[in-house]
Amino acid sequence: MSQTLEELNEVFQEVFEDDELEVQAQTSARDIDEWDSLMHVNLVLAVESRFDVRFTSTEVAGLKDVGELMALVEKKQA
Amino acid sequence: MPTTTTQTPLLDRLFEYVEAEHPRSLRGLNEARGQDPKRFAQIAELYLRWLVEARGETGIGAAADAFAQFSTDVNLAQARYERDGAYANKTFAEVYQDHYSDAEAMDGYLWGIYLTNFLWAHHYQIMTFFQDRFMTRLGGEARLVEIAPGHGGWGVWALAHMRGAALEGYDISPQSIKIANSVAEAAGVGGRAKYVEKDALDLEKVDAESADGCICSFLVEHLEDPQHLYKVISHLLKPGGVGFITGALTAAQVDHIYEYRYESELVTMCENAGLRVLETLSANPFRTLPKAKFMPRSMALLVQKRVNAIY
Repeated sequence: MSQTLEELNEVFQEVFEDDELEVQAQTSARDIDEWDSLMHVNLVLAVESRFDVRFTSTEVAGLKDVGELMALVEKKQA
Repeated sequence: MPTTTTQTPLLDRLFEYVEAEHPRSLRGLNEARGQDPKRFAQIAELYLRWLVEARGETGIGAAADAFAQFSTDVNLAQARYERDGAYANKTFAEVYQDHYSDAEAMDGYLWGIYLTNFLWAHHYQIMTFFQDRFMTRLGGEARLVEIAPGHGGWGVWALAHMRGAALEGYDISPQSIKIANSVAEAAGVGGRAKYVEKDALDLEKVDAESADGCICSFLVEHLEDPQHLYKVISHLLKPGGVGFITGALTAAQVDHIYEYRYESELVTMCENAGLRVLETLSANPFRTLPKAKFMPRSMALLVQKRVNAIY
């Protein structure tokens, strides 16, 4: 598991209040019942805070899965 | 063997598309539909039929994409508002520069909002209020004025119900004029709808007391001085004419400027403009951000131009 994915996993656990949650690159909203449009925004803000990056609405609206979120974080940090 | 066909093919197609492409939005759609599935289906199918007529077969997917983007914009703006305690923009000039002057962005913005009319559960409630309380008060041959029609859906819906009515719509956005015209044509009411590119705040130059009904949906929060707009509505209405006004309270959006915090603020602005508030509805989303300080609401007001009485 990459460092980014490991940290994202911790963010997911905090946001969804589930210490057992394990996300993979292909994990999407279909795999996490609570991952609706509102929780997505919570997740985005938590990721921004964790990685000290800032996303635009357009960047985050179309994210399909954790892999795309991970790629976006790494692009912002590059 | 008889084949069974769905009564709501377009709504079914929309739900299938959202489930496949925007699964995070599905919960909200189910909340909207779950309030009154039969009536929801009637309204949604009508709106979607106009959408497909106006934009073609790919219109549903494109509008659903715009809806998902718009909903994300709103949710993100609300989250930042929770953090900062104020809307991001303070002036109309800022918003115009960043958003309204971009024709392509406006196109998606307007079609996204078109779907929020019924896909946001609390806006669906506003729609039923509009149908039950506003439309039923007007005669079949009413002269309507719509201020800032945006996508045109409100006024077109009224025209579709009132077969002898006519509507003039005024909007500052050329993209809005284009889309509202396309929706009116799609609904078969284009001959009774005329849209003019004009700033709503200049409508005091339009004939006074000429409208039986006035529609002004979700404009007041986009202005630096909304009180003036209520006066315009009062100016346009005939004595006894009725208005349908909606506004957003503690609900951030990239182009919201005026921060209403209490429902009474909208009521007071109506009263100060010579409008009597007959009925109101304040509706809120079924879900909010965790630990939210601000409850985002959408408020609808049914108002009447006073005849003689001062109070």
